[in-house]
Amino acid sequence: MEDHEILAKFHEPASRNLAFNQLVRKYQQKVYWHVRKMVVDHDDADDLTQDVFVKVWKNLENFRQDAQLFTWIYRIATNECLSFLQSKRRKFFLPLNDVGAELAAKLEADPAIAGDEIELKLQRAILRLPDKQRLVFNLRYYDEMPYEQMAEVTGTSVGALKASYHHAARKVEEYVTTADNLGFAPDGAN
Amino acid sequence: MKPPFRLDQHLRRGVQPLSNPPAGYFDQLPTRIMAQVAVPAHRPLLVWLWQAPMYVRTGLASTVLLGTFAASMWLGSAPLGVATPAVTLDAVPQQQLVEYLTSGETHVDMLDLAELPTRQLGITRQYLKSSPTELTEALDAQPAEDGSLL
Repeated sequence: MEDHEILAKFHEPASRNLAFNQLVRKYQQKVYWHVRKMVVDHDDADDLTQDVFVKVWKNLENFRQDAQLFTWIYRIATNECLSFLQSKRRKFFLPLNDVGAELAAKLEADPAIAGDEIELKLQRAILRLPDKQRLVFNLRYYDEMPYEQMAEVTGTSVGALKASYHHAARKVEEYVTTADNLGFAPDGAN
Repeated sequence: MKPPFRLDQHLRRGVQPLSNPPAGYFDQLPTRIMAQVAVPAHRPLLVWLWQAPMYVRTGLASTVLLGTFAASMWLGSAPLGVATPAVTLDAVPQQQLVEYLTSGETHVDMLDLAELPTRQLGITRQYLKSSPTELTEALDAQPAEDGSLL
């Protein structure tokens, strides 16, 4: 079902629930994986994905269609992720690196990455990035999202996003290179 | 010394290496989300209040509190009824009025009361059991110097 059909049905009280169910089925995987890449842990991603769709439900009536529906949902998901990571840091008085280390520990325990040494170093490097920079890196490097769409999702200018991605990529390369030459992670994580 | 790591030379996996969610997760997720958001057609008032946003609940609570206060102030200051002294007096049985008025402390005797029927003839009917004509005749038959009808 097309987005405009979903929205039209959503605005009719009789078909509201059905339309929203269609919307969830259409976008649940994209939202889940976008969130999962940011928070790594499945349970956290599960909670956040549900929160995202509850927010979508509450605000969909006011959606003006200035942006694409999925870009708008992506933006809600992004804000939820950043708020979650920020509140986690505040709640446990954790510095930036500790959250990165925690996420890295979860990732290393994931069987999907077991045995791939260079990939493990790359993921460690990505998880050490500040949250917003990591978000930009993920959207560009893994999702290959155009900068214009990234600008809508993040509410940041294209120029700033390009600069952010460039800095993130440079940091990741330096970290992996150092880890490769030292034979262990520069921050002590192994 | 190994060559510097370059992202553009790295074989990109396409997706981050994360394990898949549990089997059937995406089949159940829509049902779980719909359970949180879908609203039955006739939602009980209490459930609606419970789920209403904080600002709505605060507003409603303030309104109820102010309403209760205003109602109590109005009830406390307003007269209980529109009863005038005449209406209140009408509610007292006439026989009791006569008994009260002829009691020793009020200094009213039956002569005073006998003059009333010229305006309120009905008051004598209960205790004199006579028509206005009979009463007039009886009064006329009394000697002028006699101050009592008894």
